[in-house]
Amino acid sequence: MVRLIVSGAVVLLALAGAAVAQAPKPGGVANAVIQPEPPGLMLGLLQNGPTQMVAGNIYEGLLRYSETLEPKPGLAESWTVGPDGKTYTFSLVKNATWHDGKPFTAADVLFSVEFLKQTHPRARGNMAKVTSVAAPDPHTVVFTLSEPFGPFLGVFEVGSLPMIPKHVYEGTDYKTNPANNTPIGTGPFMFKEWKKGSFIRLVKNPNYHVAGRPYLDEIYWHVIPDAASRAVAFETGKVDILPGGSVENFDVPRLSQMKGACVTGKGWEFFGPHSWLWLNNRQGPTANKAFRQAVSYAIDRDFARDVIWNGLGKPAIGPVSSSTRFFNAKLGQYSYDPAKAKALLKQSGYKGETLRLLPVPYGETWQRWAEAVKQNLEDVGIKTEIVATDVAGWNQKTSEWDYDIAFTYLYQYGDPALGVARNYISSQIAKGSPFNNVEGYSNPAVDKGFAEAAVAVSPAERQALYDGVVKTVIEDAPVAWLLELQFPTITRCKVKDLVTTGIGVNDGFRDAWIER
Amino acid sequence: MRRGPLAAFLRHPGAVFGLLVLVLVVAAALLAPVLYPTSPWRMVQRPFVPPFTLDRVPLGTDALGRDIAAGLMHGAGVSLLVGLVSTLAALLIGVPIGALAGYFGGRIDDLLMRFTELFQTIPSFALAIVLVAILQPALSSLILAIALVSWPPVTRLVRGEVLSLRSREYVQAAVVTGQTTFTILRREILPNTLSPIVVLASLMVATAILLESSLSFLGLGDPNRMSWGFMVGAGRTVIRQAWWITAFPGLVILVTVLALNLIGEGLNDALNPRLSREGR
Amino acid sequence: MALFLARRLGKGILVLLAIVVLNFFLIRLAPGDPALVMAGEAGAGDELYVAQLREKFGLDQPLPLQLGLYLRSILSLDLGYSVRQQMPVGRLILDRLPATLLLTGTAFLISLTLGVALGALAARRAGRLADTAITALALLFYATPLFWVSLMAIIVFSVRLDWLPAFGFETVGGGYTGLARAADIARHLVLPSLTLGLFFMAVYVRMTRASMLEVAGLDFVKTARAKGLREGTVQRRHVLRNALLPVVTLAGLQAGTLVGGAILTETVFAWPGIGRLMYEALLQRDYNLLLGVFVVSSAMVLLFNLVTDVIYRVVDPRIEAAS
Repeated sequence: MVRLIVSGAVVLLALAGAAVAQAPKPGGVANAVIQPEPPGLMLGLLQNGPTQMVAGNIYEGLLRYSETLEPKPGLAESWTVGPDGKTYTFSLVKNATWHDGKPFTAADVLFSVEFLKQTHPRARGNMAKVTSVAAPDPHTVVFTLSEPFGPFLGVFEVGSLPMIPKHVYEGTDYKTNPANNTPIGTGPFMFKEWKKGSFIRLVKNPNYHVAGRPYLDEIYWHVIPDAASRAVAFETGKVDILPGGSVENFDVPRLSQMKGACVTGKGWEFFGPHSWLWLNNRQGPTANKAFRQAVSYAIDRDFARDVIWNGLGKPAIGPVSSSTRFFNAKLGQYSYDPAKAKALLKQSGYKGETLRLLPVPYGETWQRWAEAVKQNLEDVGIKTEIVATDVAGWNQKTSEWDYDIAFTYLYQYGDPALGVARNYISSQIAKGSPFNNVEGYSNPAVDKGFAEAAVAVSPAERQALYDGVVKTVIEDAPVAWLLELQFPTITRCKVKDLVTTGIGVNDGFRDAWIER
Repeated sequence: MRRGPLAAFLRHPGAVFGLLVLVLVVAAALLAPVLYPTSPWRMVQRPFVPPFTLDRVPLGTDALGRDIAAGLMHGAGVSLLVGLVSTLAALLIGVPIGALAGYFGGRIDDLLMRFTELFQTIPSFALAIVLVAILQPALSSLILAIALVSWPPVTRLVRGEVLSLRSREYVQAAVVTGQTTFTILRREILPNTLSPIVVLASLMVATAILLESSLSFLGLGDPNRMSWGFMVGAGRTVIRQAWWITAFPGLVILVTVLALNLIGEGLNDALNPRLSREGR
Repeated sequence: MALFLARRLGKGILVLLAIVVLNFFLIRLAPGDPALVMAGEAGAGDELYVAQLREKFGLDQPLPLQLGLYLRSILSLDLGYSVRQQMPVGRLILDRLPATLLLTGTAFLISLTLGVALGALAARRAGRLADTAITALALLFYATPLFWVSLMAIIVFSVRLDWLPAFGFETVGGGYTGLARAADIARHLVLPSLTLGLFFMAVYVRMTRASMLEVAGLDFVKTARAKGLREGTVQRRHVLRNALLPVVTLAGLQAGTLVGGAILTETVFAWPGIGRLMYEALLQRDYNLLLGVFVVSSAMVLLFNLVTDVIYRVVDPRIEAAS
């Protein structure tokens, strides 16, 4: 234990040394855009994108992940995995305190796990194999699993398992606790003020457990509902940070060419946003495998990337994103081939029925994409009609399986067992959720393969199992994969070290500083 | 020195201009399938071709490389359709309610006017948005929503006219001779309210086209129809680098709405000479 | 007058209740519900999660019961709780209402003063160049899509010329207080209130002009002239005053349209008012909040109508003659 602490201190010193070399200057205010306005900031209760982006500064997880998804210290300074792959021991940082001054201890970790199992659907799934969580001393936590679970070390980032203060929430009704409006975490920034419809203001946590951090004094998250106005906000210098997805893609080239503007596609590796068309496997022409393959061949992914996504992202060749573990580039199959699509279409016996095409209701880019795909499909002879709907309607239609073809994109969370299997295994066919096996694909071999790969201990074994499953899924074409998306973060170049991990802006502004 | 309404209308230079524009718009709508037989959604050129640079796409292309000129031609039909059908629908709701309220008066009038007031009190654009959200964006939903928020002025107008016509001698004569209420309304009263209704309707078509474009701007348009409103809405995010995508359909809406208003004024002068311009 | 006010108020409350019931059912006809929206935004969610949310929001109760509960709270002047924003609806709306009142109020004043002035001028110069120019200008504004002219205004005055802020209510983090803050807000107010006001200005120009021309031909004006009053006095005291009556009525009728137009303006200019709040509440299916905005904005319209009615009575010469 002593050795560990020493090594931790050495690492800190080394980090501090590196920081001195780049000469970050403390102080300054960061102005960022948040879109849309989050419904609240209590990360344990709300897991939508904007909440994570703002609250990632207030709350922390036990671990963080690098751009190659290697675990890095967070509230845990070190960790060990038992040889059977069933016990995980975390040593917590000793000097962390909550924003109200109370110390952060192992009891908070135990409480957070119980809290999140009630309120956080993804944490509920991630913790399913955990049989016990114990705290042998105030700064050690031991997770015991019923069987090995390959991706387990990948479920401790702030969005997946945020630490919740036990002393604030214990014994209260979590959802109506007044503290939800003034969130308390251990993070580098503290909640200060929220003027609904205008801005959220965070201020520096002077007692943050990493010495010298954060550098910034304040962060303003500006709420600007119109996409064009958000672009203007950056141009006129009102904001310096446009997180991924906050401006329309058509504005990205112009903004990134501005003097003093920097753009990065990094910081999404952990999420690996993957887009595809859900093809309803249950009914109509899309129930036919040849028809589904025809759809895959009919789509011009390069056009979509170059014209609609401004050259950002890459064609998705199968269910696993290239930034997710166990991706295998050799397994792709579908390219843009209208002739082949027509042949397959003929073979499928399609009689010209009009299919309902459901776009993602997240703005202009997705609308344009639906229009382009509609043309792609029309060119090979597939008739579609776009069904316009808003977020509520889209969620209802997809989770009630009321569609023929539907756009979507989902995160992969770094491991096929966390973010890929859920869309293809038959146990995940259930109405009421737009994130599971919505297409209704069922193949016993695929079910078995995903199940075995999740609990296999050695990475080589997992790779072999996933290769087999992915090959079958690609051949069956239950969905038509589109693009691995990239949401570029646009900043004024004077903002340094904003994106330093695979979780990107959602990981907080702890290392960011402003050059002056 | 009274002349025929047609002559009065034609003496109005604005009205003549408006009529010419309207004829052009109708011609565009009719000729669109002939001049641009393929779908206006087809991506025919590289994206963001500026106007007046390529002969094939005289007005340039949009964010996906679709022909703006083709879109404007095909959009003419949709905008006119939305304008006309929603106005007709609004008349179908508004005229009977107004006629009944004005003819019967008393309790019925009170009740119907309270109902009308209800629709005038709710901010109409907000109601239209809610209606489209409920029905989900499609051409029929837009038409219905626009009709449902634009009938109250018709009711008020018709009620007023009917109220004043009711006491006229020839109407009283019809009542005495035992004609049914329906017949009296249809034969004696409504024909005499026609001219103000026509004037109001021409203005309502203009307003409906504006409403449709506003709803499209908020992303509530029909995604399968190329309408001008849709084009403005689709171009607004790229307005900075490609002004023409928004400017042309915006301009066409402006000119068409202007034309309809001018026609409305011309009709007003021609049909209601009481209010016609002085000093001429 | 007191009796008149009481009767109007009673009628207004009935209209409001009818609006509540109508919209209560309307909004629930829309596909999806707040629980599904929130699950969708979370990027993850299962049956349990959605069911928990529905229970928390009270959406698992029978519809008539929900309506009953809502009406009861409305009658006790409580607009309910926004489950999504975790705040009382009343507070959310009160937070946003001043911004909307400022925007619509300013736009209304601009449109009315400019509209009446230009309309009166056009009527006096009927048929001449000034008239033609004013009428043409009014028509042009009347026919221009509101959001389009807003976007153009932002591009010209904010981006190109950098004269005025493009959007927002005030400079966030500017730390202004007192007069400096008022000036800052005023600068932000210029573009939104002008673009919103110009459309309505067009309406008033046309109404004032038409009305004045009509009144000018009436006998009592001829009598006034015959009495040898100066033309300016005739125009002001007799023509304009009487011509304003229909303008006042129209202003009352336009109140609803003005509030509706604010939705577009608030969206383009990121103005933190209730119009935008309403649109967001609709997309999020935040039922209570949406209904709350409808109730408040309809109440505003009713109040405005009442005020115009009172003004009408004050201006109307017949009532003056009677007193």
